[in-house]
Amino acid sequence: MSETTIIWKKCKKCGKLQHPDHIRCLQCKNTTFDTVESSGDCTLLTYTILKAPPAEYRDKKAYALGIVEFTNGVRALGQLTTIENLKVGMKLKPKFEKLTANLDGHEVSGIKYEPL
Amino acid sequence: MRDVAIIGVGMTKFGKLQDKNLMDLLSESSLKAIEDSNTAESDFDALYVACMAAETLNHMTGIASALVDRINLIPAAADHIKNGPASGGSAIKNAFYAIASGACDLILVVGAEKMTHITTPGFVTSAVATITHHTAERLHGVSLPSFAGLLTRLYMEKYNVPKEWITSIAVKNHKNGLHNPYAHFQKEITLEKALTSPIIADPLQLYDICPISDGGAAIVMCPAEMAKEFCDTPVLITGVGQATDTHIIYEREDITVLKALQICSKQAYDMAKKTPEDMDVAELHDAFEILEVVESEDIGFFKKGEGAKAAYDGLTEIGGKIPINPSGGLKARGHPLGATGVAQVIELVWQLRNEAGKRQVQDAQTGIICNFGGFGNNIVSILVERM
Repeated sequence: MSETTIIWKKCKKCGKLQHPDHIRCLQCKNTTFDTVESSGDCTLLTYTILKAPPAEYRDKKAYALGIVEFTNGVRALGQLTTIENLKVGMKLKPKFEKLTANLDGHEVSGIKYEPL
Repeated sequence: MRDVAIIGVGMTKFGKLQDKNLMDLLSESSLKAIEDSNTAESDFDALYVACMAAETLNHMTGIASALVDRINLIPAAADHIKNGPASGGSAIKNAFYAIASGACDLILVVGAEKMTHITTPGFVTSAVATITHHTAERLHGVSLPSFAGLLTRLYMEKYNVPKEWITSIAVKNHKNGLHNPYAHFQKEITLEKALTSPIIADPLQLYDICPISDGGAAIVMCPAEMAKEFCDTPVLITGVGQATDTHIIYEREDITVLKALQICSKQAYDMAKKTPEDMDVAELHDAFEILEVVESEDIGFFKKGEGAKAAYDGLTEIGGKIPINPSGGLKARGHPLGATGVAQVIELVWQLRNEAGKRQVQDAQTGIICNFGGFGNNIVSILVERM
């Protein structure tokens, strides 16, 4: 596991893959899970280029946000490292970077996605 | 369960109302609804106040308690209902059940939001974005328009839809808003102008997005059996529904499907023993024009993937197969968050009472609203009929 791995979980009872925030399974309400790490290719499902960011992200004029899916079904939302030459279906690589200097008064880092 | 009627409605104008604060908007719309329902001398059992962000935008709490005092509904029970941009719909739904159950007879529902005094760039965008999933979405810098941008691109790619079909809805809603004296914008726009407006969240443009507005909207409700004591033209609420979906939008199997709307509108149709084909008019939650597209599908008017074409072909205009947003919708009427659900129902009341003037849908007998909370994760639907 590295800092660019997305951690999800899989329900031990029904096998539903889901974001780790769920305490009870999104499908069957079971409370035991296995950890699943993102693996395989990372594909861009959709994207937008936001030119009117929320106040805490106004240190940048524009950035791209995308929803990505890995080969093993793990999904995530994140900023893309560029706003140029983006295309639905393109392959990306996760990258750990600073996201903003001031979300609720804190600097936040997280995973961004860089076109291959 | 008892049948439930709306016996009066009232609204402030929506827009940039510089000389009015939140309590003024709540009071003015409430008093108009009380006057319209001839209940000035009556004792109310309850007041439901819908407002999304009074704490953040107005630095106020306890607004329901403040309002009963200001307009003297004391000792009516007073609650502040919060369900994001669907607060208005939630408040009406709660009032419906309180009356249907026999617990209450006379209830005032009022929704309002005061937003345009905020001048810090991105502050309102940020305040509204706090409704998104904190770690999975918000910390990455999302806004509600960015979600609509993600959805618009996905929809265009999946169903092979040109942008102009979606943006044509803004043109239609501005055309309707021209005849709504309460609308934030009372002016027509051209498709060409909309399609050359600035990009906000690519491919979403400025004219695909509702404005930030101030405004208040109120209705008075009572059991149907008492309605004629107060007014000659009551409107019945015969169906209500509310449903939720995953908080994180990318956990939905198909992001272009609003499952919560499919469920809550079915609840409303079933309760009223009606079908989508029975609807004469609808008010949908077009905070972004792509939402009117997907809502028109998931509420049952068009097949998945065909909503944008239907709008472009004029099927949702006044006089079309199913007129949507004769009020101008959120795009032209404006979107003071907590007021919107109530304003949607008020438009249907005016349509069903045949009081909508130049935007009247001929012989409208039945209508439905979709009031959209969060980004589709908490949706309310209300179905109304002539009594």
